[in-house]
Amino acid sequence: ASGMGLEPLFQAWSYFRRRKFRECADLCSQLLERPHGEQELDSEYTVFQAAWSLKTRALTEMVYVDEIDMDQEGIAEIILDENAIAQVARPGTSLKLPGTSQGGGPSPAVRPVTQSGRPITGFVRPSTQSGRPSTMEQAIRTPRTALTARPITSASGGYVRLGTASMLTNPDGPFINLSRLNLAKYAQKPKLAKALFEYIFHHENDVKNALDLAALATEHAQFKDWWWKVQIGKCYYRLGLYREAEKQFKSALKQQDMVDTFLYLAKVYLRLDQPVTALNLFKQGLDRFPGEVTLICGIARIYEEMNNISSAAEYYKDVLKQDNTHVEAIACIGSNHFYSDQPEIALRFYRRLLQMGVYNCQLFNNLGLCCFYAQQYDMTLSSFERALFLAENEEETADVWYNLGHVAVGIGDLNLAYQCFKLTLVNNNDYAEAYNNLAVLEMRKGHVEQARALLQTASSLAPHMYEPHFNFAILSEKIGDLQRSYTAAQKSEAAFPGHVDTQQLIKQLKEHFSML
Amino acid sequence: MSLFKARDWWSTVLGEKEEFDQGCLCVADVDNSGSGQDKVIVGSYMGYLRIFNPHPVKPGDEAQAEDLLLEVQLREPILQVEVGRFVSGTEGLHLAVLHCRKLCVYAVSGTLGNVEHGNQYQIKLMYEHNLQRTACNMTYGPFGGVKGRDLICIQSMDGMLMLFEQESFAFGRFLPGFLLPGPLAYSSRTDSFITVSSCQQVESYKYQVLAFATDADERQETEQQKLSSGKKLVVDWVLNIGEQALDICVVSFNHGVSSVFVLGERNFFCLKDNGQIRFMKKLDYSPSCFIPYCSVQEGTINTLIGNHSKMLNVYQDVTLKWATQLPHIPVSVKVANFQDLKGVIVTLSDDGHLQCSYLGTDPSLFQAPKVDSREINYEEMNAEMKELQKIIREATKTQGILPESEKQRDLTVTAEVSPDLDEESQATDSEIKAETVPSVTVKVTIQSRVAVQKPSLTVCVQAPLAVTCDQFSFEDLEPDSSETVVLSVFLKGNCSPSELEGNCMVSYNIPTELNPEGIPRVAQCTFSLPLRLVCLPAQPSKAAAHKVTIDTNKPPVTFLTVFPDFVDASEGDQANALGFQFLTGSKTTLLASKTSQRYRIQSDQLEDLWLIAKELTHRLQEHFRKQNCKDFACTFSGSIPLQEYFELIDRHFELRLNAERFQELLSERAVQFRAIERRLLTRFKDKTPAPLQHLDTLLEGTFREVIALADAAEENQANLFQAFAKLKSATHLVIMLISLWQKLSTDQVAILEATFLPLAEDTQELGWEEAVDAAVSYLLRTCLSKSSKEQALTLSSQLCMPKDTSRLKKNITLFCDRLAKGGRLSLGTDSATQQAAVVPGGCAPIPECDLEERAVIPGSTAAFARHGHITKQKSKP
Repeated sequence: ASGMGLEPLFQAWSYFRRRKFRECADLCSQLLERPHGEQELDSEYTVFQAAWSLKTRALTEMVYVDEIDMDQEGIAEIILDENAIAQVARPGTSLKLPGTSQGGGPSPAVRPVTQSGRPITGFVRPSTQSGRPSTMEQAIRTPRTALTARPITSASGGYVRLGTASMLTNPDGPFINLSRLNLAKYAQKPKLAKALFEYIFHHENDVKNALDLAALATEHAQFKDWWWKVQIGKCYYRLGLYREAEKQFKSALKQQDMVDTFLYLAKVYLRLDQPVTALNLFKQGLDRFPGEVTLICGIARIYEEMNNISSAAEYYKDVLKQDNTHVEAIACIGSNHFYSDQPEIALRFYRRLLQMGVYNCQLFNNLGLCCFYAQQYDMTLSSFERALFLAENEEETADVWYNLGHVAVGIGDLNLAYQCFKLTLVNNNDYAEAYNNLAVLEMRKGHVEQARALLQTASSLAPHMYEPHFNFAILSEKIGDLQRSYTAAQKSEAAFPGHVDTQQLIKQLKEHFSML
Repeated sequence: MSLFKARDWWSTVLGEKEEFDQGCLCVADVDNSGSGQDKVIVGSYMGYLRIFNPHPVKPGDEAQAEDLLLEVQLREPILQVEVGRFVSGTEGLHLAVLHCRKLCVYAVSGTLGNVEHGNQYQIKLMYEHNLQRTACNMTYGPFGGVKGRDLICIQSMDGMLMLFEQESFAFGRFLPGFLLPGPLAYSSRTDSFITVSSCQQVESYKYQVLAFATDADERQETEQQKLSSGKKLVVDWVLNIGEQALDICVVSFNHGVSSVFVLGERNFFCLKDNGQIRFMKKLDYSPSCFIPYCSVQEGTINTLIGNHSKMLNVYQDVTLKWATQLPHIPVSVKVANFQDLKGVIVTLSDDGHLQCSYLGTDPSLFQAPKVDSREINYEEMNAEMKELQKIIREATKTQGILPESEKQRDLTVTAEVSPDLDEESQATDSEIKAETVPSVTVKVTIQSRVAVQKPSLTVCVQAPLAVTCDQFSFEDLEPDSSETVVLSVFLKGNCSPSELEGNCMVSYNIPTELNPEGIPRVAQCTFSLPLRLVCLPAQPSKAAAHKVTIDTNKPPVTFLTVFPDFVDASEGDQANALGFQFLTGSKTTLLASKTSQRYRIQSDQLEDLWLIAKELTHRLQEHFRKQNCKDFACTFSGSIPLQEYFELIDRHFELRLNAERFQELLSERAVQFRAIERRLLTRFKDKTPAPLQHLDTLLEGTFREVIALADAAEENQANLFQAFAKLKSATHLVIMLISLWQKLSTDQVAILEATFLPLAEDTQELGWEEAVDAAVSYLLRTCLSKSSKEQALTLSSQLCMPKDTSRLKKNITLFCDRLAKGGRLSLGTDSATQQAAVVPGGCAPIPECDLEERAVIPGSTAAFARHGHITKQKSKP
């Protein structure tokens, strides 16, 4: 289109600014194909050098994901974690201990928990699925559904997907052959080095080479460039050297306060399981950058993971004061209201999301449930209908059917409930909650054997849920198998210590035993 | 994501397939009308220059022809348009147009006509400069503090700042460390140029410093623009922002405070005059353009930021005040004042959508697409629901899927085993030490009557037998066509198989009208293999440890007629003993009684009897069937060799126990290995390396132990497999003997087989012993039970590996006893006595405790799990 004799480099530069990276990279490739020797990179400014750098940046931007949002903890990292400060942390100072809530978080009877015993959040982020199994064996044996899949090491998880970008984009091999690169030479050219580093880190996903380059470059900059320190910190973080990363980030913060550096440092502290330090850091960051949404949101997330729901809600509200289009904050506040028995208010938050253009299965799912609990029955089924229509995979479909089954139980249509739970299992065979509820229905019909089998399946699929254990205890007690009833009741108590019915049952059983 | 959309006041689309970028939009009263009414000036990369004066009759109208004041095509692409006081001697505004190699300054003037559409506008070239270097962008301002006029500074693609004092070229200076051009702005308060370099730094250069760095090149004035850098340029201040920038703006709304705004790729910065950060904001989107436009509240500045998700956000410092949707991605945004409206947002997209809009609470209501909502007919739906529930009930009642009748088959698969062994053996990788391992050819034919998609054939034989090729896939078949493949079967593992049978399975798709991808179907057939595949004729031996005698009700038949493939014809009819030599080494002898109607099979190993016994009964039956003798029957009178059978069970179980032990040891060692690894990791991570203290030796040692254990476990696994094959053979034999002994019907034999040969694989978690034990005790509890007391025994709810085999042995013995005493195997539910087994409660097995009364369920105790995964949003992309 621009046949009017625009300079190719200018055209590429303009494409880059408009984020047309594919076009930009192609144009740069053409520029680079002109006869030029490798040695030209050594000379001072050339078009070649500029085009090379621009292409590097364009390729990086194509696959760029903010490193702060990347969080994936593999099994190997958890098991070989030698950074643990205290094996038995005091309540309220660790993310590893579930149920150490201080702010009066809701009980699991009201709000379901994840495998690690934390309350379910309203917004799926990479770190919400984390939980720390205590042994390797347990980690491997934990049921690995699509929702809880955990890579063996983080090096084999999502990073690999990002790192393969080079193979896809260039059929004739990577654009830059890292093994042939003289990193020391590039480290002395700051103008090339930064783009090159980002390319190696984000596009090639070669952390080791990136770290080498960054180390050389920071030395060349006489340790005065905070940016290189942050990059070294990022590399260390990826390599699992958290203490070293912390040092680099701290040193960078001394030179220059930056929002990103605060976020990276807080991420290190979270990985080291020091949520309180991370909170303090966020607050320190907020003093320097008042009203920074990412920092407030970070605080809210930590409070949420520590089961301090009321504080989390406060901070999410602060987020909305700064940015009232923040989807995560709206969703989390909505789910908080839902789980604190205010479905009408939750409904308003979800409706807001809908108006803003969020249009997916989960939202309609939530809308349907809110409508049901807010007694707006006319909207319930149509919301679920839409949710089913929008479901992208079988897990989502299973969620919707499960909730439909729940609604059916609520209106007393047990036949429908039964079919709904069956459909849930058809879509997702690992749905422990559905097994549990089916068992309850079978129990009502008097099919004890089936109920027992279903409950056993449920409890083996989700040992963290107390319901299957409790139901099993009830069932066994009813048919007179007191021994099994007692064991199951104890498991239920371990999963949810505050459950009154369980406690009563145990007391009753103990009385029976003492009578014998 | 926003509730609102920008309200369209006036919009138009420029040209066709033209390209625009950041510099192409400018808003100013370019024709010096004095009315304070801004015009919109747009240049394109195609070289079109357009000036608009939007004045819609009512908001949202299409652009009228008279809104376009001027359209000219200049010969070269327009990179940037700016309006300022560029002509000496006058303070009037002029238009500067930057081309690749040229800078032109025009005067824009209009002559009023009698009516509005009679107005005429034209541009007049005031002066132009040809550039020696390719230009990139420019900025202007009162450089050096001159009053009443603007000077222009152009940045070239290769990093030279070229300064023009209106009609004359002043000087050019290379920026140090230049690679790619960044945005350029002039700050009049500090009289300096601000740019963002390729080192990701905001850099500020004083005009004075630029001007005085010329010393060395004074004399080259003749070659005006070819001046290169002289004295080293010293930068005024530098701020490392760690990213590339899209744009820079310098503004001072409150007197005395001026701010430098930098729009980075990921953050948005506000800097003080001296280069310190006043505030910054992390953006969670990719910005495309911005403009700080005014200060509504004392001490704060409002900024418009456009982004690549078609949004325009209004920030007051860092607080989001408004978010609005645009119909396009803006590459440039300006704020203009028109006659009757102040503060109109002017946006330009890169494909030429020019829009003047204002904020408003016009909701951008998201319209969810309609789901096909049909009129609900409750009666019909109820009927349908009932129908469906009936089907569901039917389906849950009858187990299994009814087999399709044979004549409906669209595709048939047949396997034909050649009567002779292969002349040249096809066996490969056999573990057997014998010189030649024979093989037999199987010809599999697929015949299709209809068009079939993606047929694929799988042939499987039970290990230790193996096939040369077990997977075949074919092209789509035409109707009435066939495919044939040939493969060979041979003995691979070093033990005798328990079955001489194989299975062919074809999976294919039949396309239908509704489902062009096809409905998956399966066809299968079985074939049986000759005995010669696993054993050879040999000398009979008299003595053996295990003997089984089978009676018949017909006179004995010579071996020459029944086993022609094993008897040498020259020996004649006399032979009453026949020897079989298995490839694995063991021997079995078959003896026929000359006087009575008996056959005796004897061998040193119990399991070796099976294949021969089976072959014998099978061949005898065939023989008499051919002679139309219908009442032929084999019987077995002697006691079942349970003791020998139990020895095999024990052997198998012992190996399983071994496997479990190995597993425990392995996990122990693995834990140890990881513990050492962790310690080593801490050592290596230390800045001051501590001595390893032989941790490496320990690691190595543990590693070897792990490997050795794994090897041992593998060997055990192989042994286990062989033991299981033997056990299976023996089980087959026992089943056959029981059925001959008790003269069981085929149905009963099927139950027996299902009991003793569970379909599940023999694994560590669920092995043969517990499966058979459960099945046998079920039979003992139901159809073979003696009293109702036994029926009440509850099964253990979970199958797990037993501690020893005594219970199993006891049960099997009991099972045989009951059968001997006339028990009948059946699985029917008609027997009234079985009902009690299902419903518990009535007869609780614990007599000490009378809990029968507590049948009432407390209503609320059964806890339903709450909605498991209800509240989820997809994470940000």
